[in-house]
Amino acid sequence: MEVAATVDQPARPRPRPRPLQRHGGRVVTLILLVLGAVFVLLPLYWLLSTAFKNGNDAFALPPRYVTKPTLSSFKQILGGQFAHYVLNSVLVALGSTLVALLLGVPAGYAFARSPFRGARIINTWFVLAYVAPPVVFIIPLYIMYQHLHLLDTYLGLILAYETGLLPFTIWLMRVYFSEVPRELDEAAWIDGCSKMRALWKVVLPTVWPGLTTVGLLVGLASWGEYFGALILTGPHTETAPVAVEGYIGTTFANWNELAAAGVVLVVPALLATIVVQRGFVRGLTFGAVKQ
Amino acid sequence: MSGQLGLEGPGTQPGLLDRASRRSAGPAGDRGPIRPGPARQIALRGWSAFDRKFFRLAAIPAFLAVFLVTVIPFLAGFGLSFSSMNSVHNHVFPPTLANYKTIITDPVTHTVLLNTVIYVVAAVVLETGFGLLLGVLLASKHRFVSGFRVIFLLPLTVAGVAAAISWSALLNTSQGWVNYYLGLLHLPQPNWLASSSAAMPSVIITDMWSGVPVVAVIVLAALIGAPRDPIEAAMVDGASAWNRFRYVTFPAIRPALVLAALLRTVAAFQQFALFEILTGGGPGLSTTVINFYVYQQTIVYGNVGYGAALAVLLVLVMAVPLLILFALSRRR
Repeated sequence: MEVAATVDQPARPRPRPRPLQRHGGRVVTLILLVLGAVFVLLPLYWLLSTAFKNGNDAFALPPRYVTKPTLSSFKQILGGQFAHYVLNSVLVALGSTLVALLLGVPAGYAFARSPFRGARIINTWFVLAYVAPPVVFIIPLYIMYQHLHLLDTYLGLILAYETGLLPFTIWLMRVYFSEVPRELDEAAWIDGCSKMRALWKVVLPTVWPGLTTVGLLVGLASWGEYFGALILTGPHTETAPVAVEGYIGTTFANWNELAAAGVVLVVPALLATIVVQRGFVRGLTFGAVKQ
Repeated sequence: MSGQLGLEGPGTQPGLLDRASRRSAGPAGDRGPIRPGPARQIALRGWSAFDRKFFRLAAIPAFLAVFLVTVIPFLAGFGLSFSSMNSVHNHVFPPTLANYKTIITDPVTHTVLLNTVIYVVAAVVLETGFGLLLGVLLASKHRFVSGFRVIFLLPLTVAGVAAAISWSALLNTSQGWVNYYLGLLHLPQPNWLASSSAAMPSVIITDMWSGVPVVAVIVLAALIGAPRDPIEAAMVDGASAWNRFRYVTFPAIRPALVLAALLRTVAAFQQFALFEILTGGGPGLSTTVINFYVYQQTIVYGNVGYGAALAVLLVLVMAVPLLILFALSRRR
């Protein structure tokens, strides 16, 4: 408000910065960004380049930056058990995303449309469930699963993932649904749609971008999840991130294979992120910051 | 956040009915002959039993599921914290406070707590600070900046495990690239992951690799969304670049920055992959934080009761910075 008041006064001409000043700012910006980019890209470059090297090149010092790319590391790991672990990861990611969306989307819709008593408490509860460190849930689940025979099962791991993913889905879908004007549903209802049909035919197509974003973020989270999988899986359901850590323990010498396993982990996530792009910050901030 | 929840208050009726009836008070017949009476009556007559209960039926399964997977394990964990369950005994009863006494008296726990505070404070402060700087740099309007935006988005997609294995190779004392480069520059080559003085800073730096871009991207989104008028007005008034940032831009992005700090605090308390893969909590206890210690005690050593008590401690310790940040986000 103060600013608005001062605008009415005759504007003083802004002193023109001298050329050195102007370019100085730009050069400093560039230098800082390049330094940051080197820091960010170094591990990614290591991962990608080492995955396509043979064992000798992977360890060579000084580093061999350009080598003839070979797929031998990928053949090696995917010919072994790793393919099975990747499949487990895919199954768990798809399963937990499906459960989160099937339960979370209708709930998010109801949450956005129908005020109810205790909504504040449920909000707080969801935030706490998301914020709480996984150990708080995973360790008791581990003990409970021992008695329920859910250790080393897909169902057990998917259920454990829903501790964070389901509240996240409900919360974010509620944000997306509440941006759709109520009048849209009401028009469909008056035209004779049942509520289910109105949701399916009218509202869901409108929130589709939000829905795909949530789905990809949830899938991404369970794809890369490590802690819960380490504790709750066993030989049958071990997921790729846990298996990658296993490579460090047993065959630490094979950096190229380790890197290839890392690339297998990174690439699907990268592709998914390219798809969600704009929704990413939204999801990251629980819907609070729009991009 | 709770301001935009769209929940206007108590009551279970959906907004439809009163709104529709209000509208029907307008010029009659604006929707043709399908509305012979007040919309309220139509709506009630038209809904099947399923439709009338639709919102409840849509919400209840999900809420039950969340209850099942969060509240029950949490309460079970709280209960276990009073048990003496370990790899030898399977006793849940009688309840005892022994675990909590051990927490208070055991010097190991004190070291672990101190490590946690150092790690969380350093990670959050550094990531928020550098993230703010990076976000501001990325918001500048030079042509070369847009390419950098893509680069700094990359760490957000990389699974923690993949980042951890990459850094563990780069920071390897004798074979890693980082020490090789330092050697070229005739700089000291620390024993990054295996010396008690360098291990914690190494983990913090690798955490910054994923944390700084997170903050930067949030800050950038807030900067892009911030209204331009006040900044231009300040420019016209001849405010210096620093003053423009300090008094106009910063207040506009402060909520987003606090949110980013909150997210990084949560992430720091939850960090596991880096500790497990880079240092395994060592050397000695030097990188053992509570989250990792709970895992060690319960899963590795089988001290379930003691681990559960440590998890309760973790929740209590975590509440402190979160409450401070929540208070900061409320302040105007």
